[in-house]
Amino acid sequence: MLEVKNLTKYYGDLLAVDDVSFRIEEGEFATLLGPSGCGKSTTLHAIAGLIDASSGSVHLRGKDVSDVAPYERNIGLVFQHSALFPHMTVEENLRYGLKMQNFDGDHDDQVQKYLEMVQMADHADHKPDELSGGQQRRISFARALVYEPDILLLDEPLTGLDRVLREDMRNEIRSIQQEVDVTTLHVTHDQSEALSMSDRVIVMNDGRKEQVGHPTELYERPETEFVAEFLGQSTKFQGELVDSPSPIVQAGSREIHVKTNGRFDPADGEEVSTYIRPEEITVYRSPQANGDVNTFTGTVRDIEYLGHRAELEIELGDGTVVTAFSQTSDELDIDDEVAVQFDPEKVICV
Amino acid sequence: MTELRTRLAFYPAIVLVYAILLVPLVIVIATSLTVQSAPTIPTDGLTLDWYVSLFQNQRLIDAMIVSTIVASATAVVAGIVGTITAFGFVRAEVRMKETFATLMLLPLMISPVITGVAFLRFGGLLAIPRGYPQIILAHSILALPFVFLIVRSRLLTFDERLEDASMIMGANRLETTFNVTIPVIAPAMIAGMLIAFVISFGEFTATQFLVTPSTTTVPIIIFNQIQTGLSPEISALATTLVAIMIIVSVLGDRISS
Amino acid sequence: MNLGTVRLPEMPSLSMLRDRSTAKLLMAIGLGWLTIFFIVPVVVLLFESLNFGEGSLLENYSTALSGTYLRTLGRTMAYAFITTIVCLVLAYWIAYYIAFKAKRQMLMLGFVLLPLWVAIIIRYFGVSLFFLPTGPVQQTFGTDFGVLFSTTGVIVGLTSALLPFAILPIYNSLQSIDEELINASQVLGARPMSTLRTVIFPLSLSGVIASALFVYILAAGSFLAPAILGGPGDFMMANVIEQSFSYSIPLAAALSVVFTVALLILIGIFNHYANISEVLGDL
Repeated sequence: MLEVKNLTKYYGDLLAVDDVSFRIEEGEFATLLGPSGCGKSTTLHAIAGLIDASSGSVHLRGKDVSDVAPYERNIGLVFQHSALFPHMTVEENLRYGLKMQNFDGDHDDQVQKYLEMVQMADHADHKPDELSGGQQRRISFARALVYEPDILLLDEPLTGLDRVLREDMRNEIRSIQQEVDVTTLHVTHDQSEALSMSDRVIVMNDGRKEQVGHPTELYERPETEFVAEFLGQSTKFQGELVDSPSPIVQAGSREIHVKTNGRFDPADGEEVSTYIRPEEITVYRSPQANGDVNTFTGTVRDIEYLGHRAELEIELGDGTVVTAFSQTSDELDIDDEVAVQFDPEKVICV
Repeated sequence: MTELRTRLAFYPAIVLVYAILLVPLVIVIATSLTVQSAPTIPTDGLTLDWYVSLFQNQRLIDAMIVSTIVASATAVVAGIVGTITAFGFVRAEVRMKETFATLMLLPLMISPVITGVAFLRFGGLLAIPRGYPQIILAHSILALPFVFLIVRSRLLTFDERLEDASMIMGANRLETTFNVTIPVIAPAMIAGMLIAFVISFGEFTATQFLVTPSTTTVPIIIFNQIQTGLSPEISALATTLVAIMIIVSVLGDRISS
Repeated sequence: MNLGTVRLPEMPSLSMLRDRSTAKLLMAIGLGWLTIFFIVPVVVLLFESLNFGEGSLLENYSTALSGTYLRTLGRTMAYAFITTIVCLVLAYWIAYYIAFKAKRQMLMLGFVLLPLWVAIIIRYFGVSLFFLPTGPVQQTFGTDFGVLFSTTGVIVGLTSALLPFAILPIYNSLQSIDEELINASQVLGARPMSTLRTVIFPLSLSGVIASALFVYILAAGSFLAPAILGGPGDFMMANVIEQSFSYSIPLAAALSVVFTVALLILIGIFNHYANISEVLGDL
């Protein structure tokens, strides 16, 4: 459906996108995820044709569109701050694309259908500045879909909305996308947005593609340090791999027992980073070691209550801080001595 | 390809616009250097003779002095009145403020010929002395809208919390005005005064009614010479006028930054 | 103690009141100054235009609205109109280039502003030097193409003098258009010319109106352009007022009133569509 091949973009001497390739299948909801400045927006703009790539190509439905003007690509784009035409009504904004693309079929019906889809049918005659931020995003969304583009691009479409509204809009966007069955490429720096909405996530950092995969895959089996640290919370231990008799990472004086699977197979003595997610850590009140591997003692330094559970910062003897969860009912207090334990199976090694 | 199309689409405009804007200036300067007795583009050598004869002409030197005095006084008067007015308009809460603001722009909209005629008759009526007082007052009215607009737009973006902060720290209202407000808006005020100077220095249309033999300004002399016969000396005079304006604007820029 | 708590809330309100009245006083000073030295003189002129001697009270007006003078008024408005159109076309063209295409925006703007520092009489003089027998055009082509001392000469001069005032507001309005709107238009399928027509132009309209207003007012009131570059048949209202002043002050006054009223009516119509002090504030 969409294929990006070896896309590279320089701004002067600055390398914004460095040899990025990926493909998206028909009907998929894919997300380009990365911190600001990672090149994800530049990639999206190159796909839309709004900037010229320095090298590489963009293919839509098997056709190389690298030299095709944006107005001939038949794409829908939802802009960061909606970019609705302020001098046109909501309805005129929607008609604009239909008219410019010479859309076959009844324009009135099409406008009506998409306004209803985003639940804005009774705002057709309003000007954009009479709408709330959330309403503007809905119209922007309808405007991008009304002429049935081959692909829908979303450029951080929820920027600037409050958290509750973002979460509502997230679900809505996903359900509309499935209803219309349009291939979608979404750009965001918000990992929870990416993980909750997407069929496939492309993580970018520093202009390069880090990893591509389904959200669960990225979360459970990150392939690079960046992906492991960027997605979700974790505690990091770094050290040398010692393979005797089962693989152990020697992080300072601490031995972290790990399971290396086929995918990850470092040589003996290699420097390895290990990560453990907070939800995989069990916290025991009694500081006594119970003999299991990967059990360490420490002191509770900080407790943040999150309703049903609490997030703990536990400082181990050598100053390493472990993030773990506890049940609120555990009733732990700051300065309590505790033990943490985690299963070698659950340790992420990269 | 698209680059070429852009060029073809815009180069005519670029050439035309900048020719229309700049050729007149270039030609004035060029003809002031000609060795011939008519204001031609110098092709057979350059000379500064016309500037020499310019500075031997007492009448022209007097006119330059008059113009400088008038323009400086205008800058001060229009600068003060314009700043005061802008302050009032930004800070006061009055109904129909916008209508009054439009009123302030009237001197810009009414032809300076009418301003000149009206001022001459009115000056006679109120016994405002002819010469400097009338010319300076008329010029400061013509320059007032510009100072007003410039200072007002600066004041609109002025963060009034700076004044609050100053007063919380113990300065009274007057001290705050002099220590905080005026320094912050000074660049805009100087820019306004600069424009007032330039407007006054080049003003002809209203001035022609108000000058006396002892207060003839440079534009009046240039106009009379254009009417009576052309000599490269006018170009030299005009170039000198341009030079003075540029020097003043550079100085003003220095002071304000 | 009680006294203190009573007085405290009063203090700020008292100083706020003083603050606001100071601002009103400053505003009154400005408006007063304008009234004494500008509005009153113009009103005095209005009185002078009335005929208190023999004949009708409005005798000067019947002269001012007759034959040649009426034609001059029409010519003034027409010349200002043509100048405005020429300036707007050139200004939009170049402002679009500077705002969206040019690499050295500041340099190009600087050269637009430069002529504003040069007295207008010198710029008209430069235009006349260009077309005079001693100037480059006649030296090269042997003809001034009928520009000098003609209607064309006046229009060329006015355009040269007023073009910066046309470019700046249009440039500002183009500059403030959100680039994303232009991107949106392209992605939605609009070709560059459609984008210009349906998005960029409507959004820059306030700048176009400001430019038109500015150029029209300044062109209509011009004295020097016809005096230096025009022929005898090209006199505009300002020239006629100046001329009649030397033999009949009441007539000059009546002409001034007629001209100003005509212009203010036009401005009033303009102001209906765009607030003048707002659009000129953009400068």
